[in-house]
Amino acid sequence: MPKSLIAMTSITYAMKAKRMLNNKGLYCEIVRTPKNLGSGCGYCLSVTKEPAEIIRLLEQNGIPHKNILSRAQD
Amino acid sequence: MINFDNSATTFPKPASVRNAVSLAVGRFGGNPGRGGHKLSREAAEQVYITREKAAALFSADVENVAFTANCTYALNMAIKGILQYGGHTVISSLEHNSAARPVANLAQYRGVTYSIAKADEDDDKTIENFKSLIKEDTKCIICTAGSNVTGQITPYKRLAKLCNERGIAFICDCAQASGVIDITLDDGIDFICTSGHKGLYGPAGTGLLITNGKFPLSTIIEGGTGATSAELEQTPFLPERLESGTVNTPGIMGLGRGIDFVRQKGTKRIREHEQMLCSVLTNALKKHGNITVYRSEKASYLPIVSFNIGSYHSAAVTEYLGRRGFALRGGLQCSALAHHTLGTLETGVVRFSPSAFNTGQQVNMLIAEIDKIAAGRVSL
Repeated sequence: MPKSLIAMTSITYAMKAKRMLNNKGLYCEIVRTPKNLGSGCGYCLSVTKEPAEIIRLLEQNGIPHKNILSRAQD
Repeated sequence: MINFDNSATTFPKPASVRNAVSLAVGRFGGNPGRGGHKLSREAAEQVYITREKAAALFSADVENVAFTANCTYALNMAIKGILQYGGHTVISSLEHNSAARPVANLAQYRGVTYSIAKADEDDDKTIENFKSLIKEDTKCIICTAGSNVTGQITPYKRLAKLCNERGIAFICDCAQASGVIDITLDDGIDFICTSGHKGLYGPAGTGLLITNGKFPLSTIIEGGTGATSAELEQTPFLPERLESGTVNTPGIMGLGRGIDFVRQKGTKRIREHEQMLCSVLTNALKKHGNITVYRSEKASYLPIVSFNIGSYHSAAVTEYLGRRGFALRGGLQCSALAHHTLGTLETGVVRFSPSAFNTGQQVNMLIAEIDKIAAGRVSL
C-alpha cells in the first residue's frame, strides 16, 4: 500500500498523533525523517490514508505538524 | 527497618515499579527520541506511556508534562523560568528550601525581590497575607500545597484563583500532596512541581513539571532534545524544551507503574489509610504531657505528624528510634522557613510520614518506643 510521510515537530507530538490516529482505526507508523527529505533529527508519520485528511485530523486535535514530505516507497 | 520517612521518599516501592525498572534496563535500552532505530523508538514509546499517565493524573495535555530529576529541579525550572532577571514574587512561610533557595538566589544575583506570606492556620488569613504582599511587578506566587514539616495544607486552590484574577503565575510545590490528594491543573494551578518518588511511588531520580501552558518558561538548562537539532536556539516547544539530555527511562518507566499503583488504590483510600495511622500515633502522643505535637484543630493536614519529646533534640530521638528499627526524620527537613514559623529552628522536629505500605501494628511498635522515651525509661 502506498504511504505518505508527514513531518512532525517532535517525537512527543508524533506519539500523540499516532495514538490519536490509531484510536480512530487509522494506520500510522513513526519513522525517522529520511535524510534526503529533511535536516536535523526529525520524525515523520508514515500513513496510508490521504495525507490531507490526516493533516485535517491533526489540526482538529491541536497537534502541530510540519509539511507533507513525500509519498514513500513501500 | 520500618520506614516512617516516606515524605523523603517512599519505601518500599510496589513490585510493579521494581519490575518496570528492571525491564527498562534489560530491554528498553535505546535513547528515547534520539534515533530512528527500533531501540530508540521502543524506549520513546515507553516514556510516552508514562507521560500519558501523568497527564491523566494531573489533568494536563500530554505535551505539557516534562520529566525532571526531582521536585527541586522542577521548582527551579519553573521559578527561574518565570522570574528570570527581575520582578517580584510572594512565597509562603512554609516553603521547602527547594523553592526558597532558588528565590533567595535570584534575589541575591538577579535583581528579583520577594516577600514571605505567613501561612496561617486560618485559610482566610493566609489569603489576606498573600493578597497584601502582591505588588505591581509581582510575577508569581510560589506556595506548597502542603508543608513537608507539619503536613499543613495551604489554601492552594484559592491562591490559584487569586493568581488567575491578577494575571500572575501560580507555582505549586506538590511534592507532599501528590498521590494523597487529588491535585490537578483543574484547580487553577499554572505549574505543578512534584517528585515522582514520594506519593507517586516511582524510583528516586524522578520528578515532574506540569503546566497548563499559559506562561511560557525560559530555560535554565539547554542542550540536545532530539528536536530542532539544526538550530542553536533551544527547542521552543514542550516537553522537549524542558528535557535537554537523555531522560531517565528506567525511572520514568518505574514512575508509570507508580502512578498506576496510586490510581488503582485511589488517592482517597491511600490518604484515609495514612491518616488513620497518623491518628493512632497522634492519640498516643497526646497522652504524654511532655510531647508537643505540631498540629492545630483549625488547620487540615496531609498524613504527616511532627512532634518533639520534652527538651530532647529531634535528632537524638530519631537516632534512638533508628537503633530500634524505625526510620523517622529529625532536624529541619530542609525547610528553615517552616521551622522559623513553628519556632523549632533549634530543636527541629521528629517527622512521622507513613505510606500505603505501613500498618497499624508497625505504628503500635513505634508508639511503644516513644512511650519509653517520654516516660524517661530510656535516656538519649
